Order: sequence, then C-alpha cells, then structure tokens
Amino acid sequence: MPQDMPPSGGYAPVQYKRHIPARGFRPWTYLAGVGAIVTYGMYKYFHGARELRELSREKMWARLHLAPVMQAEEDRDQVRRYLADKERAKELLGSEGKVYNSDRFIRPTFAYTPSNVTR
Amino acid sequence: MAQRDPQFNQHVLVDTTPMPDHIPKVEEIGATSAPLMSAAYFIGDRCKAYNDDFMKCKDEANGRGEIECLKEGRKVTRCAASVIKDINTHCLQQFTAHWECLENNNHYLFECRRAEMALNNCIFDKLGLKKTIPDSPPNQVPVHLRPRQKFAQFPGPQW
Repeated sequence: MPQDMPPSGGYAPVQYKRHIPARGFRPWTYLAGVGAIVTYGMYKYFHGARELRELSREKMWARLHLAPVMQAEEDRDQVRRYLADKERAKELLGSEGKVYNSDRFIRPTFAYTPSNVTR
Repeated sequence: MAQRDPQFNQHVLVDTTPMPDHIPKVEEIGATSAPLMSAAYFIGDRCKAYNDDFMKCKDEANGRGEIECLKEGRKVTRCAASVIKDINTHCLQQFTAHWECLENNNHYLFECRRAEMALNNCIFDKLGLKKTIPDSPPNQVPVHLRPRQKFAQFPGPQW
C-alpha cells in the first residue's frame, strides 16, 4: 500500500503572518507625548507650589507680627478678670486665698456671673 | 488649646469690673482683623523690639507672664496703635482700599496686590516702614512684589 507522502515539490508555504496595516503612530511617540505632557504639568506644579509656599510664609509672618498685640490684649483682659475675682473673693470671704496650688497664672474654669445683667 | 473659655461674650453677662487704678490704663487697639492684617508688616517693622521683648518676657516668666508682663504688653499695644494712627493720618485712602479689598477677598493678600502696592509705596514714602518677608529665598522676587499672582482670580499683571 502506497504511503501518504508530501506532494512533489513540497508543501506550499503556510501563511501565518497577518498583514494588517499598523494603526496610529509608533509606540515611542506615545511615550514621548505622555512624557511631555507630564513634564509640562510638573513644571507648572513646581512653580505653583513654590509660589504657594511663599504666600503661606507671607501669611504666617503677618500673623507672627500680630500675635504679640493680640496676646497683650487678651492677657490684660485676663488679668483684669483675675484681679476682679480676687477682690470679690476678698470681699465675700474676708481673706485672700489661693484657688489653685500653683504660682502660675491659670485661666479660671468657672467664671463669675454678675447678679444683675450687664450690657 | 483645649481650654474652656470662661468669657461671657454673649452681649450680656460681661464682667465689667474695671482694671484697678494702680495698673496704668492703655487704650486697646480696637481694629478689626482686616485692617490689622493689612498693617501687620508695618507693625512688625516698627514694633519688632517691643514685640520680641514682650514674647521673651512671657517665655521667661515661668507661667506668670499674664501678670508680670503687663508693662511690656502695654508697650506692644501702644506701639501697634501708633502705627495704625500714623497710617490713618498719612495713607488713609490707600489703607482703606487695601483692607476693604482684603475684607472682600477672604483675607487673601494675593488678591489685593494692586492696593497693597499703593499702600506700601505710600507708607514707605511717608513713614519709612517697609514690608519685608523674613526668610524668603534670596534668589526670588519676594511674593508681594511679583506683578503676576498665580493664584489670584485674575492671574495676569496686577498693576
């Protein structure tokens, strides 16, 4: 019985490659494009962040210059209330006593409520 | 800052006892936030010595600064009040323009560069006080002198 043999002259070549036209640009163009966009964004961000830093420095120093003024006013008010409290305690109790066992100035937790409403 | 604030600020219930007579009186500065913000750098320029003195006193008073640094505190307030008074007498128009601009723009200094430039020039001419931002990088134009403000609503040239 004759065996199956390749046709004379061999088989025809099998077409396994697909000849579809490549879409779009070459890959490295996309990489370069994205890189350019990101670089531009980072450049803008850098300058924005730098300006933002200087703006916050400006604001911080404005507040630093004002802090002693505000603090002095608040302290004066606290001392006025403290002395008034002390005077009142002396009047009511007849003696000067310390509320807290400390030499530091302590903002009172409870405040005096005037008996008649002030305005 | 977790202190409970004992002040009664609701119109009524204010402890109105005046300061005892042996403590000298001083008129409070009495300016709201926007004028203070506008004048902050000039207060800082003229009153730096008093401010530093007061803060140092409080730092070294060992927790009793409120009572012991009243004298320094009065100096601070008087100095700041003198700056405000001088600005009001010499540069009232520019000052009002600037702080009203700040008031309308959420206290953003970068929205009011035009008014600020006018104010700074007037104050430098009349009072000799200069706005300098400490510790700003030396190789850049200080942010308050840049004509373009990136974060302003109008980021183009401001003047």
